[in-house]
Amino acid sequence: MSGKWIPLWLHKLGSPPIFYRFAGKLRPWLLTLALLLGAIGLYGGLVLAPADARQGDGYRIIFIHVPSAWMSLFIYGVMAFAAFLALVWRVKLAEVAAMQSAPIGAAFTLITLVTGSLWGKPMWGTWWTWDARLTSELVLLFIYLGVIGLYHAFEDRRQGARAAAFLALIGVVNVPIVHFSVNWWNTLHQGSTIRLLGPSTIAPGMLWPLLTMMAATKCYYLASLAARMRTDLLDLESGKDWVRKLAVEAAQP
Amino acid sequence: MSEPSLARACAALLRRDLTLAWRRRGDIALPLLYALIVITLFPFALGPDNALLQRIAGGVVLVTVLLAMLLALDAMFRGDIEDGSLEQLVLAPQPLAPLLATKILSHWLTTALPLIVLAPLLAGMLHLATTALPALLLALLLGTPLLSLLGAVLVALTAGTRRSGMLLALMLLPMCVPVVIFMAGAVAAAQQGLPWSAPIAWLGAALALLLVLAPLACAAALRIALDA
Repeated sequence: MSGKWIPLWLHKLGSPPIFYRFAGKLRPWLLTLALLLGAIGLYGGLVLAPADARQGDGYRIIFIHVPSAWMSLFIYGVMAFAAFLALVWRVKLAEVAAMQSAPIGAAFTLITLVTGSLWGKPMWGTWWTWDARLTSELVLLFIYLGVIGLYHAFEDRRQGARAAAFLALIGVVNVPIVHFSVNWWNTLHQGSTIRLLGPSTIAPGMLWPLLTMMAATKCYYLASLAARMRTDLLDLESGKDWVRKLAVEAAQP
Repeated sequence: MSEPSLARACAALLRRDLTLAWRRRGDIALPLLYALIVITLFPFALGPDNALLQRIAGGVVLVTVLLAMLLALDAMFRGDIEDGSLEQLVLAPQPLAPLLATKILSHWLTTALPLIVLAPLLAGMLHLATTALPALLLALLLGTPLLSLLGAVLVALTAGTRRSGMLLALMLLPMCVPVVIFMAGAVAAAQQGLPWSAPIAWLGAALALLLVLAPLACAAALRIALDA
């Protein structure tokens, strides 16, 4: 019985009108949770956490920078998984999820690069250095932009989604190779003199706001994804009966 | 009805593509001219300082060859898409991946090989040390097929779109970062008189891998892009 229950539940959620309603119900909760956790995490990070012994208060940008960096990779993982589902089983909802994840992931990657640059200026004395991590993150941004660009280059949106999903899967193979080769490249010329704080050496007073911010960014991503997917589904299914019913319902006072 | 064997089909395809390329010889010369112009501009932009030019020569030649290849990449399947012969290729009884590998080979022969032949001249214009020349040529011989194979997958993905030039550059950049790193690594090591076999071996390994995988990926991408 339970074996049958799970596929049915998943199948139902895979249908656009049911997902539309489900995402609509879930979104306000996720957004509230994201804002709440974000407020707690930022208060903990910017006010409660102790100043760093060497970097003073300047390190506090970590509470934006590191969660964004985690999200930039996490969203790529989600996008690639959805892309795989979209290519293998041609699930329409997975196509929408993959393509609507890309701009959010690109935004988080950009935030990571900008905050990293702002952090680098006072700490390293430069806005940008061709360090392995920085370069990999920049390449990740280009992959995101390539996926978004390819998706919009097609006239047929579902075809564009499948092509971009294929590119996202190529990117999964490419990102580790880039990271490895850039590491090799930078250590050939000179050893990396700059190391970020190791995760195990961080003080507990700094760790909990960081983890709270991580949960907040995850919730924000899900809320944003729900909103984007709802809008995209309405656009994609605009000729369908359920969308027409929604429009008629909305028009009635 | 007897079907021609795969080898005969590939040979016929290669002969056709090379004949077509030879009939439009001017198109083969364009990337060469582009590379020459770019290399000529560098001394004007940086000043005629021989020591400086010599130091950056390897990297500049590699990037110039890459850009010249990118310029020609867009045309890999364009003519075949316009006259419908690419769809015939997809419908052919022979498997698609080896046929596409043949097309990639003919494209490499007509765009990358002339650039490799020109490379010693380009390197000489920037006073690259002759001791680094073997490393440069070997890196190009292994690296340009990699770029052709990677590029072919991306060109296949954009086959169904109208405007693809800038998009192709955006998509190729992340793919070619490792290739450029290893090519430049070999040349830089040779320039400093260090052993340069390790990056060349990496390029060779990547080429062996992609020779098998890229035509398959290219075929899959083409099926997605032509599936209306």
